[in-house]
Amino acid sequence: MTAMEEEGAPPSLDVSQRTDGRSASQLRPLQCSRGLLARAHGSATWSQESTTVMAAVYGPKPAAMRKENAERAVVEIIWRAKNGLPGSYEKEAEVVVRRSLEFIILTALHPNTAISVILQVISDDGSLLACAINAACAALVDAGIPLNGLLTAVGCGVTHDGQVFLDPTKLEEQKSKAFVCLVFPSRPLSAVSGLPADVDGEPFEHGILTSVTHGAMEVDEYFTCVENGRAATAKIAEFSRNSIERSQKRVSGAV
Amino acid sequence: MANNANAGLRITTNERDFIEAAIKEDHRIDGRTPFDYRKLHIKFLREDGSVEVQLGQTRVLAVVKGEITQPYPDRGNEGSLAIYTEFSPMGDPAFELGRPSEMAVELGRIIDRGLRESRAVDTESLCILSGRSVWAIRVDIHILDNYGNLVDAANLAALAALLSYRRPECTVGGEDGQQVIVHPPEVREPVGLIIHHIPIAVTFAFFGDGNFQVLDPSLKEEEVMGGRITITINSQGEICAVQKGGGVGVSASELMRCIRIASSKAQSITETLKKAVEVHEIERAQRKIRRHRNLPTEIEAEVEMEEAPEVPEAPMASEPTEPEQAMDTERDINDERMSDATQLESNEIKNADAQVKKSSRAAGEKDIFAGGESAWGDDAKLTPLKGAPGTRSSFFPLDSDALVEFDVAAKAVLRGGVSSQRMSSKVVSAPLQRQISGQIAAAAVYANQSSAHIAEEARSLGPIFPRVADMDSTEGIVSVEGTEAELGVLGNSTLETELVNQSEDKPLNFLSSGKKKAKKRKSGGVRQN
Repeated sequence: MTAMEEEGAPPSLDVSQRTDGRSASQLRPLQCSRGLLARAHGSATWSQESTTVMAAVYGPKPAAMRKENAERAVVEIIWRAKNGLPGSYEKEAEVVVRRSLEFIILTALHPNTAISVILQVISDDGSLLACAINAACAALVDAGIPLNGLLTAVGCGVTHDGQVFLDPTKLEEQKSKAFVCLVFPSRPLSAVSGLPADVDGEPFEHGILTSVTHGAMEVDEYFTCVENGRAATAKIAEFSRNSIERSQKRVSGAV
Repeated sequence: MANNANAGLRITTNERDFIEAAIKEDHRIDGRTPFDYRKLHIKFLREDGSVEVQLGQTRVLAVVKGEITQPYPDRGNEGSLAIYTEFSPMGDPAFELGRPSEMAVELGRIIDRGLRESRAVDTESLCILSGRSVWAIRVDIHILDNYGNLVDAANLAALAALLSYRRPECTVGGEDGQQVIVHPPEVREPVGLIIHHIPIAVTFAFFGDGNFQVLDPSLKEEEVMGGRITITINSQGEICAVQKGGGVGVSASELMRCIRIASSKAQSITETLKKAVEVHEIERAQRKIRRHRNLPTEIEAEVEMEEAPEVPEAPMASEPTEPEQAMDTERDINDERMSDATQLESNEIKNADAQVKKSSRAAGEKDIFAGGESAWGDDAKLTPLKGAPGTRSSFFPLDSDALVEFDVAAKAVLRGGVSSQRMSSKVVSAPLQRQISGQIAAAAVYANQSSAHIAEEARSLGPIFPRVADMDSTEGIVSVEGTEAELGVLGNSTLETELVNQSEDKPLNFLSSGKKKAKKRKSGGVRQN
């Protein structure tokens, strides 16, 4: 690398010395609480340390005439940024989340209705889209919407020297060459039984449901991201499931 | 009469009759008395200027953001404050996206009048370059959960957010003196807004022919009520705004009674708010000091208000501040602050010391820095320094928490927002507080206005805090013992060692050990107690 190149290169991120002391493949502490809101049918807050998103679910409820579908429920997502007027980022995020959730919600069970998921960004410190999708999923569970599986999302970044790291903070996202949000399905519990556990010999969980990249990365780097993300989502899924099971036990124990 | 055209909530005739009949007998459906507020909970989020307020089950989030813009042509010297309230469908199924409903507009206007038109926020101090650059402060209010009385909750959230917001410091420079330089928060401490007074919105609902009033209506009461009034009043008894939009007529004497009640409620809410802000400030300062330790600490400053005679109690866990732990923190504090060139040598010594374990400290090694022996240390023998500013005869060893308190207080004074006399923190004993306020005046003299690192300057002239004289100190120390426990109480500060040991309500915090186990399940919905 010539001196000129070095000067021109943006400040590189040292993955072995992340500011919060994590290693490259370490996630931030997760936190999930459900049932916080009194009016919403289901609600959840998902925090990845400083990134917090609150999701509220209303539905199935009557859909607006022009939007309703006689064969299935309409899923609508509303993304509320922390401040400012809604812009293109919010629109894009709404589309991504909607398409991801349409995969798991059993919309055919509730025709002519709408299921709305409202996402409110409480604080943003990187991996926002992943956090939002996790929150939406938890809120859907809290609302009792029938799902054919859960989703787990994780953020992954690539530094300028090709190192891959998980769960970037906002600063790390800005300093990285590229970062990606990956969403994987996770299906140990489903409302529909008898679904195949494997697709072409690969476990169901290995399929990528959604992938949104920012910045350019090499193909190999992308696949490394996917591998790492997959491994991480196994942990996140476990956390999510334990959280749900625990709250269900509490509910049924109280009854 | 449906004041709240709320398509989401359908209230039955039976419920309506029941609520009205109960109110006529001074009963409310949630068990409150007519002039009781619901439980108030103010939670400051990690970012400056973000606050979530919970009033009963009503939740409102307020976020403050500032940006530099051009001023209005006819107000070249003033910045601007704008309140944005967009009701998202999250709080209520009846809220729809798109044009703000009249409820949203009304709420925005009430808060706007209370805060902006009453000049609660000083806009002249937001001017950077007259006629060219000013700060435009924007408050976004998000309704997370509508369970009645959004106005009061939203107003409080906006206030708390403005009180906790910090804007980056900026100076005017450049060759022509016309360039605005914004200093990032890592370089210069961001400054807070200047708030002259705190206008609290108090809402009453009227039932019957207007002769029954209740305070802080909940959702169902709002459906049933005949009219409402919102009085925005501050703790000095000055009415900032009154909003009674239609509804059933109320006699003047009843109205005066409401205003008197509002005045007293405003005072108690102001106290709660101030206390919450102080707790937040302290933990914020603590967080800054410990930042270099690379440990994420979950700290939430939460203050809850109990209605009526009980003194509002902040849920703080008292921790035993291990002297050694405090030592390390103090040492680190010293390390952090001392960037002065003349201190480099002693800094290195200190750094080396900090690596060494506590045993050497316990052995009685003294810190050597300009001015003599260190004043912080429970076990250090301290002697009064002649000529030190404000040297008095009886003092208390100040541990890290008091140091933080001092720091916060000093900064507040420097910002010009708070006088040292008003810096009353209930956790500090009176004599300690007097001492601190005296030292604050001294610190202000030493400190450079543009720099928030007061300690640097102060250190070069010698330790500000006077020392403990051995003989005189027995009483002093004994009295402090009692207060030190309180001093250690600040916020839910988790010391470095106490990460997992938290009350059930707090999120488990795990660390870089790699365990990602934290889960927290708040008991659903209603917060009892």
